[in-house]
Order: sequence, then structure tokens, then C-alpha cells
Amino acid sequence: MSAVQRFFRRYIVSTVGIVILFLAVNLALFVAIILTGSMSGADTSFSVRDFSDHVVMQDEKWVADDAALSMLQEQSAWAMLLDEDGDVVWQQDLPENLPRSYTSTEVASFSRWYLEDYPVKIWTRADGNLMVVGYQPGTLVKYYFSLEWPYMGVMLGGIAAVFIINLLLIIFLILRNTRKVERAMTPILQGIQNLSHGKASHLEEQGELAEINAGLNRAADYMKKKDNTRAEWIRGVSHDIRTPLSMVLGYASELEDDRNLPPNARKQAGIIRRESEKMKRLIDDLNLTTKLEYALQPVHFKDVDWVETSRQAVSEVLNSGLDSRYEIVFAEMQPGRTIHLLGDEGLLRRMLDNLLRNSITHNPQGCRIAVSVGEENGRCICTVSDDGMGITPERLKALNRGDDIASTQGSDEKAEHGLGLKLVAQIVKAHRGIVSFSANAPHGLEVRISLPTQPLIS
Amino acid sequence: MTNHKILLVDDDRDVLEMLLSIFQRAGYTNLRTAASGAEALRIWQEEQPSLIVLDVMMPDMDGFSVLKKIRRTSRVPVLMLTARGEAEDRIEGLEIGADDYLAKPFLPKELLLRVGAILSRAYPRQNEMVELAGATVDMDNAEVWKNGEKQALTAKEMQLFEKLYQNAGRIVTTGILCETICGEFWQGYESTLSTHIRHLREKIEENPSKPVSLVTVKGLGYRLNLKEVSP
Repeated sequence: MSAVQRFFRRYIVSTVGIVILFLAVNLALFVAIILTGSMSGADTSFSVRDFSDHVVMQDEKWVADDAALSMLQEQSAWAMLLDEDGDVVWQQDLPENLPRSYTSTEVASFSRWYLEDYPVKIWTRADGNLMVVGYQPGTLVKYYFSLEWPYMGVMLGGIAAVFIINLLLIIFLILRNTRKVERAMTPILQGIQNLSHGKASHLEEQGELAEINAGLNRAADYMKKKDNTRAEWIRGVSHDIRTPLSMVLGYASELEDDRNLPPNARKQAGIIRRESEKMKRLIDDLNLTTKLEYALQPVHFKDVDWVETSRQAVSEVLNSGLDSRYEIVFAEMQPGRTIHLLGDEGLLRRMLDNLLRNSITHNPQGCRIAVSVGEENGRCICTVSDDGMGITPERLKALNRGDDIASTQGSDEKAEHGLGLKLVAQIVKAHRGIVSFSANAPHGLEVRISLPTQPLIS
Repeated sequence: MTNHKILLVDDDRDVLEMLLSIFQRAGYTNLRTAASGAEALRIWQEEQPSLIVLDVMMPDMDGFSVLKKIRRTSRVPVLMLTARGEAEDRIEGLEIGADDYLAKPFLPKELLLRVGAILSRAYPRQNEMVELAGATVDMDNAEVWKNGEKQALTAKEMQLFEKLYQNAGRIVTTGILCETICGEFWQGYESTLSTHIRHLREKIEENPSKPVSLVTVKGLGYRLNLKEVSP
């Protein structure tokens, strides 16, 4: 999982957490309000039943005790007792305007609602009489509430359903929103990641985040421009060096061949010539490596005859007048077989040339170089091995790790490395191949290159 | 060969002077120089040189433009010199009709070799005789003289010999030789090539089973050694 995905995953989890917390807090608050409400009414609540117990029949007369009267006074309420016929048999503070007798219809009506604006509470006593307590208007709210069972079921279920649907809707919207943000952000984050790896990618400058995309594009352009400037600079410098170097190389070579000069002078001219040739190679390598690094030189993939290309590269080194200290042996792993490869012939020849020159440069005492080409499991193989001094195991490890191959080595190393091997690695990479280095027994270096025959398909 | 008129073109006077010195030392006697594209075109029209060595990067008119103008009316051999060494330059130069291409800096030997190769291709010498260790090859008549006896070379043998002769002293790969006699799609003709080489050896070698002139370079190809000229 990438960092970006992890970020959004965490974002979704935390948002869902927030919603759950929100609901929990709301529920808690709701319960708290209900509790507070019921508590606020609790101490003043007045039970008609309790009150009714304080009104008793004494000597054929209805009498209320002092507790009952004080209860009424506290509430500034009035009370009356109706017998089974609806007549008031006892009353306390009953307003004058209220009737003293009630029909069963009237009783049914006020028991649910109000009696002339007085909210009332009633209690049916065990003796069949009806105790009615009336409060001051505006102190009590009365609702009549009746529901049919099926409707009640639907309502309770409905409430639950609404709650769950709401919850799901919230989660769905959160997910959808996050997806939207993720879709908008992913290319930007990808772009930043690409930039950090030195790869410039162009983003669509559309949508709400167009400005950020435009900014990233500008950064990428700037980076590319800087790379191009550097490449141009290297190209310019190497171009400017070529002409003077032509003169040095040309005249040194002329002096070397001048039979009228003393042998010592000719020998020295030969040294100048050889060093100039090294510089020429260095400039060529520098140019090519820069171009490959900044992808300024497109790789021209064409059908290449692998064996013949290798033959030409080896022949070129031999034809350039190789010192007799060196011997190059060329062999085909499968003699007579034609091996086709999709690749850039110029670059592949350069790669082999650099490998051969690498062996030559690092073994001034002379060595035997064996080049072997062939095909294995659909891959083009080339090994270049010498019986020279070889390299240290540490360096071998570093080369195989694919560490950045330094252009020069520390001062303690005798041979300067040049860009040769770096260029080999770059060309192999451009062909999506693998290069590996190993020690040659009993001494020397072996370089093995394995290239896919169809680099563009894989 | 060395009396061909050669026009050297480069905007840098020092380079021009060096080119002049290289060709003079090699024995060329008929040399002209031009320091700009316009001057080069003027001298080309007036003097009709046999070959032009043309620098690509020049301030007034670059080498490609000069070459394009020349190619409208003439097939005069042109060798391009460039300080850029870009593969694209090479392709562009060869596309618009340059005969060869050399990147600066170059070895004088390399330049002379290429100029010599172009000249011998463009102006085949009359009565050219190639001296080998055991025989002499008459290039005009495609005949070999060995031990006072004359033998004719077949067309393919002659093609092979010419290719090897143009690259005398250098390895010519199997692929290039096959291409010379079979054309672009040469793969699979290696055995045909070795048959021709065997026949050629029978005609030019003193001892065909131990060749000294047309030697095999194992795995790579063949090399033609000319007779050592004692100084």
C-alpha cells in the first residue's frame, strides 16, 4: 500500500469515528435532557391518588384532612369528588362558575381535556367515586394520545430505519467525498513523487485543483529546463574542446610519424597523441552519458544481428591498432546461428567497445580478452572476460549492486575509471537488460550482459 | 591518386592549416582551401575539385547547406567533418549525399584512409595492380598473375577482393563480406562466402592451405594483407 492510499484509508476511518462520536454525544445529551426534565417536575408532582386517600367518609360526610388541604394549597389547585351519578359530593376551592353536577359525557370530556380551561387530573377511587383535581389554567399541558398497534409498530420500526438510513447515508457521503478528493489528489501526489525521483510528468490543468497541478507542471518544466541547460552546457563545452583537440591530436600524430625527428621526440609526440585520444573518448562518453541520462537521445530500436554487431565492435577495436600485449578472442556460443535482437545498433556497439576498452585500460601489462556471444532462453548473452588484474571484491559488490558508478576513483586507485562502465550500464538499462560483474578464475574480470530480444514488449 | 584536386573547407584558419599540412605530408600536391561556405561554392564552381573535405559548423552557411547546393548539379565526393559527433548529424549528412563522415577530433591517418577510400571508389585507377605476397591482382581486368600465369577472377571473387582491398590491413567481418556479395539479406550465406574465399585463395595464395595474404580472423572475418613494401 502506498503512502497516499494509507493516508486516505486513515482519513476515512477517522471521519467515520467522528460521526460515531457525534451520534454518541447527541444520544447522551438527549438522555440527559430527558432526565433533567423529569427531575425538574418530580418534586412538585402531585399524585391525585395520594391526595384521594386523604379524603375519607366520616359520619356520612366527606372530609379532607390537613395534609390534603396543604397539598392543594401548594399547587393552588381545587378538588372535587363526584359520586356515581355525577353530582359533586365534596369540594374544596371549587370555582363558582363550575357546575355542581356533571353528565357522563362531560366527565368523559374533561377527563381527557380541560374543564373550562382548568387542566384536571382524575382518580377513580375504590368506592366508585371520582376524585377530580383542577389546576390553575396554564400550569399543565394535556395531550390525548392514542395509537393503533400496527401503526405503533410501523412507527417504531420507521424511527429505527430512519436512524440507520441516516447513518448509512452519512457514511456513504463521506466515502464518496473521500473518493472524490482522492481522485483529485492522487495525480498530484503521484506527480510530487515523480518529481522527487527526478521524473517530470505533465498533469491535466483542470478541476478545482488546477492551480496546484499547474504549479507542479511549472516545477517539472523548471527541472527539465535545468537538466536541458546542463546537458546543453556539457554539449557546448565538449564541442568547444573538439576543435582544439583536433589540432593537438593532428599535429602530435604528424610529429610521431615524422622520420626526420629524433626518436625521443617522436615517442613523446606519441604520448601526446594517445592522451589526446583518451580525451576524445572521454568527451564522447560524457556526451552520450548525458544524453542517455536526460533522455535527450532517443533509443532507435531496430532489428539487429547480434552476432554480426558484436563482430564489428570487436573488429573495430582490433583495427584501431591494438598493442600486441593484448589479445582478443571472439567466439559464438552457438556457431552459425543468427540471433535477432530489437535494439540500437550504434549503442550496442558502443557498449561492447566500452567493455573491451575497460579491460584494456585496466590492464596496462596486457591481457587476453575473450568475447563470447549467444542466445539463452530467448535472451541475447554476451560475456567479456579478461585474465587481467581484476577488481577488489568490494568494488565487484558495488558494481553488482548497481551503485552509481563513479566517473573517477579515489586517489589511492591507480587506474582512472572513466565513464566507460557507467555508459555500459546505461545502455543495458535502455535495452531493459541486465549486466553482472564477476571475478574470472584465476584472476581477471568477467562482465556478462543479458538483453531481452524484444525489449519493447516486456 | 595524390594528384587529385582536393578542396578543404573549414572556417577555422588553424584547422585549415593543419588539414593542408596533413594532406601535403601524405603527398597530395593539388590542394585548395576555403574558409567559408560561400568561398567553397565559388572555388567548387571555378575549379571543379575531385573531392571536398567539408566542415559542418560554419558561421555563414553550414556544411549541410553547402552540400545541398553542390548536390543539385554534381556528384563530387564529399567528406563531412563535424565537431558535434552526434549520430543525428551523421545520418543527416549521409542522407543529403555525403560520401563519408568524420567527427573531430580525428587522427590524420583516419582522415587520409577515408579520403583514399573515397577517391579509389570514385576514380578507379587505370592499370591498378595490387601487389600481394604470392601474386599480383590486375584490378582493371579482374585478373590474377601468379608465377607468370594468368587467371581470371569471377565477378563475386572480384567484389570480395575489392571490399577487402579497400580495407586492406583491417578486419572485414563475415557479415559485411556476405552483404557485399549477397545484398542486404545475407544471413545464412556464410558457407557461400567461405566457398568464394577458398576459390579466391587458390588464385592469389602461394599455398592456399596456409594463406598469408587473405587471412582468417577466427570468429570475426577476414583480412587482406598487402605485400610489405620495403622502405
